[in-house]
Amino acid sequence: MPNKKLISIILGVMCFALTLGIVVQVRTIQNTNSTISQNQEANALRDEILKYKERYDNRFAQLEEAEKELEKEREEATKNNTELEQAQQQITEGNKLTGMTEVTGPGVIITLSDGTGIATSTLNPSQLIVHDLDVLSVVNELINAGAEAISINEQRWVFTTAISCRGNTIDINGERIGAPFVIKAIGLPEYLAGLERVGGYLELMRGQGVGVNLEKSNNITIPKYSGVINFEYLQNVER
Amino acid sequence: MKKGKIAMTITIGIACFALVTVMMMQFKVVNETDITAIEEMQETELKTELASWKTRYEEIDEQYQEVTQRIEEYKNDEVSNNEASQLVQEELEQTNTLLGLTDVYGEGIIITLKSGKDITPITADDLLIMVNALKFAGAEAISINDERIVNTTDIVYITSGSFIKVNGQRILEPYVIKVIGNQSHMESAVTGTGGKVDELLTLGHVATIEKDNDITIGKYNGEIETKYIQ
Repeated sequence: MPNKKLISIILGVMCFALTLGIVVQVRTIQNTNSTISQNQEANALRDEILKYKERYDNRFAQLEEAEKELEKEREEATKNNTELEQAQQQITEGNKLTGMTEVTGPGVIITLSDGTGIATSTLNPSQLIVHDLDVLSVVNELINAGAEAISINEQRWVFTTAISCRGNTIDINGERIGAPFVIKAIGLPEYLAGLERVGGYLELMRGQGVGVNLEKSNNITIPKYSGVINFEYLQNVER
Repeated sequence: MKKGKIAMTITIGIACFALVTVMMMQFKVVNETDITAIEEMQETELKTELASWKTRYEEIDEQYQEVTQRIEEYKNDEVSNNEASQLVQEELEQTNTLLGLTDVYGEGIIITLKSGKDITPITADDLLIMVNALKFAGAEAISINDERIVNTTDIVYITSGSFIKVNGQRILEPYVIKVIGNQSHMESAVTGTGGKVDELLTLGHVATIEKDNDITIGKYNGEIETKYIQ
């Protein structure tokens, strides 16, 4: 008899948990529905955006493959000529530095997250938030500490990269990203970790209540630049 | 009787397991879908977003065509050493242009800055923000006092000497920022409300902007070497 009771209780608890889960889900879906405007045209635009995003992702993957093949062909074509071989090595090395290829190496990972502390009258709530200038300053300090490659939320830092505020999010390489910001840098980990120094920018941010975490790692992967650099106004001076 | 009980328990167990799995999957899907951002957007914003993804797709597509074409050229030219050499040289020049290792010219603007008297001088952060704004507006090449801005350029203030270093080189006032890019885009990036040039002027500094159709920006003079990236 007590066995039956036990089973009933277990079943009861399970049913309750399942119902709870279903209720949560239904409510979530209701919430999302409320933000989707009833506007047909807006929904069509959303579909279109997703379609282009997907096409972009597919092409990007193909491009990565093609670039690897190109490198092989280039190696093949230059292997019997010392002068060309040197040029080919310069291209390969250059592509790593300019952000045209994915790179790996030792370095640090810095995570900046919006503060969770309750804004009091003495604390400016705006100070708790990670701003575009904060990210820019951290990148500048990392370069100063000898970083050879940097990414912010998987967006590669290239020479045309700007960090710009766009409402609650930040615009990097034309892509919108939000906190937490994960900044990866490849370089000598000991030097890069020097950003933790007393009086440094990270300490300053911590003091303001922003979440700051720095972690050394021996194996960091930084992706290739997600865009294309085309010159419209600039030309090389012929020598 | 006992057998039936076991069978029932197992059935219920499996049913529960299946339900939980489905729930987990759904939660994961909800978490992973990155469409929340575009769901909150309004129609005008959606249109700009769509236009930007279209351009990004077209650019990446063009690049892909270019790379595949180059692969073909290499494949065809395997016999001719001369042509292979030309191809490699072409690629090397492109790489060097991206690295900032070539002298370049084009239209753009020249911004000259000088600190006002008896006020806090122009800071390294001012220059950093200015460069950032110019990049955001599409600058193709920038230099400060002939120090070329490359992707490993840092702009820092050296407290002990009270001066600014760009690329590890000390620079002194007046700061001359040369930019190649669309002239009106470059100008509006630093002027107007929130523009760095206007802000510096308001603070009492001296700042001038000059348009020039033929600006030459010298190559990066530092050493480019990599020790840690693979």
